[in-house]
Amino acid sequence: MKKFVVFLAKSLAILILTMVLLDVIYTIVYMQSNSRSKIDYLYNSKDKNYDVVFLGSSRVNNHFVPRIFNEQGYKTFNFGITRSRLEESALMLEMMLERNYKIKTLVLQVDLNINTNDHSEAIRSLFMPYLHSSKTIRDFYRTIPEYNQLLYIPFYRYMHYDSRIGFRELFYAAVHKRTNALENDGFHPLLTNKRPMVPADLSNYYPKRNKGYEEIKAICKKNHIQLVAMTTPMCTETINRDYFNHLNEVYPEIRRFENAVTKDEYFSSCGHMNKDGAVEFTKIVFKTLFKSQNTP
Amino acid sequence: MLYWFVGYKSKINQNYILILASYYFYSCWDWKFLFLLVFSTLLDYVSAIQIEKSQTTTERKLWLWACITINLGFLGVFKYYNFFAQSFAEMAHSFGFTASPILLKLILPVGISFYTFHGLSYIIDIYYKRIKSERNFVDYSLFVSYFPLLVAGPIERATHLLPQLKIRRKFNFNKAQEGIYQIVWGLVKKVVIADSCSIYANEIFNHYTTLNSLSLILGSIYFAFQIYGDFSGYSDIALGASKLFGIDLLRNFNYPYFSRDIAEFWRRWHISLSSWFRDYLYIPLGGSKGNKLFQVRNTFLIFLVSGFWHGANWTYIAWGFINALYFLPLLLRNKNRKNIDDFKLGLNFDSFTTLANILMTFSLTCFAWIFFRAKTITDALLYIKRMLTNLHFNEEYFRIERYSHNLIPLVLFFVLVEWNNRHKIEPISGKYSWFKLSLCLAAIIALGVFSDYKEFIYFQF
Repeated sequence: MKKFVVFLAKSLAILILTMVLLDVIYTIVYMQSNSRSKIDYLYNSKDKNYDVVFLGSSRVNNHFVPRIFNEQGYKTFNFGITRSRLEESALMLEMMLERNYKIKTLVLQVDLNINTNDHSEAIRSLFMPYLHSSKTIRDFYRTIPEYNQLLYIPFYRYMHYDSRIGFRELFYAAVHKRTNALENDGFHPLLTNKRPMVPADLSNYYPKRNKGYEEIKAICKKNHIQLVAMTTPMCTETINRDYFNHLNEVYPEIRRFENAVTKDEYFSSCGHMNKDGAVEFTKIVFKTLFKSQNTP
Repeated sequence: MLYWFVGYKSKINQNYILILASYYFYSCWDWKFLFLLVFSTLLDYVSAIQIEKSQTTTERKLWLWACITINLGFLGVFKYYNFFAQSFAEMAHSFGFTASPILLKLILPVGISFYTFHGLSYIIDIYYKRIKSERNFVDYSLFVSYFPLLVAGPIERATHLLPQLKIRRKFNFNKAQEGIYQIVWGLVKKVVIADSCSIYANEIFNHYTTLNSLSLILGSIYFAFQIYGDFSGYSDIALGASKLFGIDLLRNFNYPYFSRDIAEFWRRWHISLSSWFRDYLYIPLGGSKGNKLFQVRNTFLIFLVSGFWHGANWTYIAWGFINALYFLPLLLRNKNRKNIDDFKLGLNFDSFTTLANILMTFSLTCFAWIFFRAKTITDALLYIKRMLTNLHFNEEYFRIERYSHNLIPLVLFFVLVEWNNRHKIEPISGKYSWFKLSLCLAAIIALGVFSDYKEFIYFQF
């Protein structure tokens, strides 16, 4: 029996050592990666100056074309991430400040994402490799239920989020395989037109006060960043467009752009415009809210 | 710890600890079904004693059939009632009648197929006077409810397990170490192989109407490894856990995908169920005695029942039927026991033939798995039709949070490890065991699927 207890203790030691070793290897690889996602790019960048930064979900990622702003003398980047919620947008903004970014204006998509106070597991996972090295990330997630396990159990975070930051992603990060996330200054154009268009149904959507949005507002106020919160276009077939009116009842400051582009030819799907729609929309937003900085 | 430090003095203590642990383990799913388990145990226990006490054959038969009927009655109600009621209604509808069957909203008690078969084997063995009835209720209860095998087997025999429960178990380091190795290897099979394959297999089977031939072929292969890793992984964990208590359970898998024909496959896959059907159904039906027609009938019957045992769905019956069809040529040419010896490979034509046969058997098995995995027979047929007619073999993108087909090298590596260790129970023991154990632990941690937990497939049976 004594022999077996020793055997078990040795096995346990191997297990713990393996977990520590793997944690170190994974973290080192992810710390060096800056071309796989907007979050690793953000973590590995410093002292950037932006006139305009776009934040939000795929409805930012696919809708705002930084080139149009840049041509008018602005320095912009689209930090929108597909599946991101306002909670993740708030953390990204905090990280930008931690990385000493200077931002004049933040354009934030606040429309369908205000329907929920939930977070996105898929996007939360992308912050996890930096949990030990970024105080901002640690502070941000201090209140989540599995915080202690994520922070103190070696390799737990990589096991917990294995589908996004597990072995497969590690491999591509290690060989520096680039994704298209950073191309076009972060704008990811949709090139297909799915037809027939399936109308988006917002019948079960109810705008409510959102913790992430409130947090972003507070950060912007504190750091003198001009915040432009806005809705982005939905196809005209959308069921319960009244949702957007209710949105203004909760947050009157939200600028309404859901009808800025209406032609079906500009939509890839009901909730996402294609490349032409995105260009059209960005021009409208620019014309409405900004002025050219190019000297004549 | 409790078992070896408190219970080491007598087998009574050890058995009490195990039975309490087993009942606790079972009640973790649904404590209400514990009553059903205890009732089933009590029924078999009393029936066995009564069969033994009976003076006349009629009386013995009466007890036997009463016990079998009640046991199968429970199984029938919980597992098959809705299937029969619906099938009857559909049949009536096809003849122009209207039938509105009363369907029961029942949850299938975990492990009912397994513990019912435990009890039945015991009763039948008593009836044929192969063993004496067990008078100690705790020992008998433990035989039925022993937690490593309670929910998904292996289906134990009283002749094998009961004698081990009748004596005090002494701690054996080698056995316990082997148990740990087996548990670790079982975990590799489950979380690394089965759960990874299940992500791809589910994606492919759920979207088969839009995928090409290559993806559909891979879908069936992924499912083959999913079900193998899942079920044999569970069996390894069960056998390993049992060894920690000093109890050996029946081996359930013997590298089935290295079989050279379908008969050999069935001697290596879910061995405890195959041998159960052989001993308690096939042989009593006459087995391989009698003329060929008689043998063919018995073979089909055994495969159909085996398919039906897995669940109340025509897909399982079709799966059993296809396996019977595979078996038929071997039976008719008296070649079903051709490949019972071990084989070695070298650089010669025989080795090439052996490898070709293994590949052929694996392909046939994968084809049959399509029926096992599909939701309906129609789905299975459409899947096969598309697989055979699409004929596009380019790599496709799957909408899962993983990349398309980079699971293939992992599966091939797993096959290689199993192939090199096919003469052992698990690949960790032997030379460099510490190094191999470390690699397995690293594989579980780094390659396992944790964010998308999948329950063991055979828990539903």
